[in-house]
Amino acid sequence: MRKLWRYGIAVVTVGAALLITKSLEQYTDITPLFYAAIVISAWFGGMGPGLLAVVLATVALDYYFIPPLYTLRPDLKQISFLLVFGILAVLTSWMSAKRKRTQEALREARDELELRVEERTAELRQANESLRERGEALQEVQTELAHVTRVMTLGELTASIAHEVNQPLAAIVTNGNACLRWLGGASPNLTEARQAVDRIIKDSYRASAVISRVRTLVKKAPARSDLVDLNDVILEVLALAESEARRNHVLLKQQLAGDLPFVHGDRVQLQQVILNLIINGLESIAKSNSGSRELSISSTKDEANNVVVAVRDSGDGLDPANLQRVFDAFFTTKADGMGMGLAISRTIIESHGGRLWATTNAQKGAVFQFTIPVDGESAT
Amino acid sequence: MSNAEAMVFVIDDDESMREALKSLIRSVGLRVETFASAQEFLESRRPNVAACLILDVRMPGLSGLDLQRDLVERNIHIPIIFITGHGDIPMSVRAMKAGAVEFLTKPFRDQDLLDAIQQALDRDRLARSHQAETAELHHRYQSLTPRESEVFGLVVKGLLNKQIALQLGTSEITIKLHRRQVMEKMDAASLADLVRMAERLSK
Repeated sequence: MRKLWRYGIAVVTVGAALLITKSLEQYTDITPLFYAAIVISAWFGGMGPGLLAVVLATVALDYYFIPPLYTLRPDLKQISFLLVFGILAVLTSWMSAKRKRTQEALREARDELELRVEERTAELRQANESLRERGEALQEVQTELAHVTRVMTLGELTASIAHEVNQPLAAIVTNGNACLRWLGGASPNLTEARQAVDRIIKDSYRASAVISRVRTLVKKAPARSDLVDLNDVILEVLALAESEARRNHVLLKQQLAGDLPFVHGDRVQLQQVILNLIINGLESIAKSNSGSRELSISSTKDEANNVVVAVRDSGDGLDPANLQRVFDAFFTTKADGMGMGLAISRTIIESHGGRLWATTNAQKGAVFQFTIPVDGESAT
Repeated sequence: MSNAEAMVFVIDDDESMREALKSLIRSVGLRVETFASAQEFLESRRPNVAACLILDVRMPGLSGLDLQRDLVERNIHIPIIFITGHGDIPMSVRAMKAGAVEFLTKPFRDQDLLDAIQQALDRDRLARSHQAETAELHHRYQSLTPRESEVFGLVVKGLLNKQIALQLGTSEITIKLHRRQVMEKMDAASLADLVRMAERLSK
């Protein structure tokens, strides 16, 4: 049906050209309208209808305009005219059809492009959305972890805070009493009394500073006992620490034992310990400005049936005098440190029946490692 | 004996606390010396006067309880008053059993501490005079001749002169002379006095 319509264009346009040219014969040249008919046919119908228009136009010219009129046998003189017309007509038809095809191909290509751009945009939007969701989930995990740091250790924390605050308070009370005694009696000693009051003021600030340091820390989460694959925990934590490592240009390495037994413990707390050790290592490397920037974490099983996790950094290492002290609550070498991380970590590990200790790395930096005993029934 | 000679030692790793204690103790006219650690105290030269020790339980390095044990092992007898930020009962029981005078929890009433110091100094003075007496007794005992020592041992067992003479194969008169010599050298007023001295010497 559509094909018939395309060829019909050729018939109709050539017919129209013939009628108009015939009626205006004495005012115009005979070929332009026929060319127009061929161009239109080729444009709208394609190459086939274009060629049909050429044939019809040549026949019409020969029959109606070329002497002898009304015959299909042209004068010998006119054959060259018809020949030239025919060739030009074919060329015209071909160019028109081709032009049209090119344009259509272009439009199709453009349409397709638009479609694809739309599709890709939708895909991107979706990817963005899921990224955002994952970012939120990650943030939640981080927040949760951060929360845990402050939490589980309530026992340790309150003991430490109590000690830290009580110390200056005891000094204040004692100085207060001393001051009263220096003021009493027959000849009050104002110099001594004044010095005691100065110390009272100093210790009051000290107590207040302790309180503001710990004000941010609060709450409590009950320890759980899960079967934990420490390799899994390490990988999760490494994923969390990755951006921090990249920011500090530190290479994270891992050496995980393939056949690591499961241990019993609180997954989140153990995550916390490992994260704490890794972050400490990264901070130590960040502070140091020489040599390799590498942090490696390994897991193994020792002969005593313990899982051993070691975190080695290439930072400046520990002062041998501080190897033990770093685990004391409120001991810190960082300007903004609370001095709680390692104290808490040691508490966690000990509550799992293990040990956490520090050594100096053979080459450079520090090694923090902990053991968790594998109990027989939970080993897999 | 008065407080003038006495000395109070304070060991606390917290400087504020050291300063405060120093001031309080000085305000009642006592001499005081402070140390930041147990090691510092052990390395110091201490005057040979009545003294007591105020000791913080919780210190880095050698803890207060460790030091208490250490001092006993080194045969250094000095009354100890413990002070602690967070004493628990087992800890205080341990300290008291090992001979501590008092176990105070910070912050404490100043009078409690001063009373404890007084008690500790009294205890040290007593121990010192007791020690001096014992040393004097030993000194006297050393001045006895071997035969006098023998007579001394038998007399305080309750034997009569006659029995002693028989046992030692000598005359009753000779024993009487030895016995008077022993009473004189030991500065004993009576037989009961001599028995009491014998008991202290045997410790």
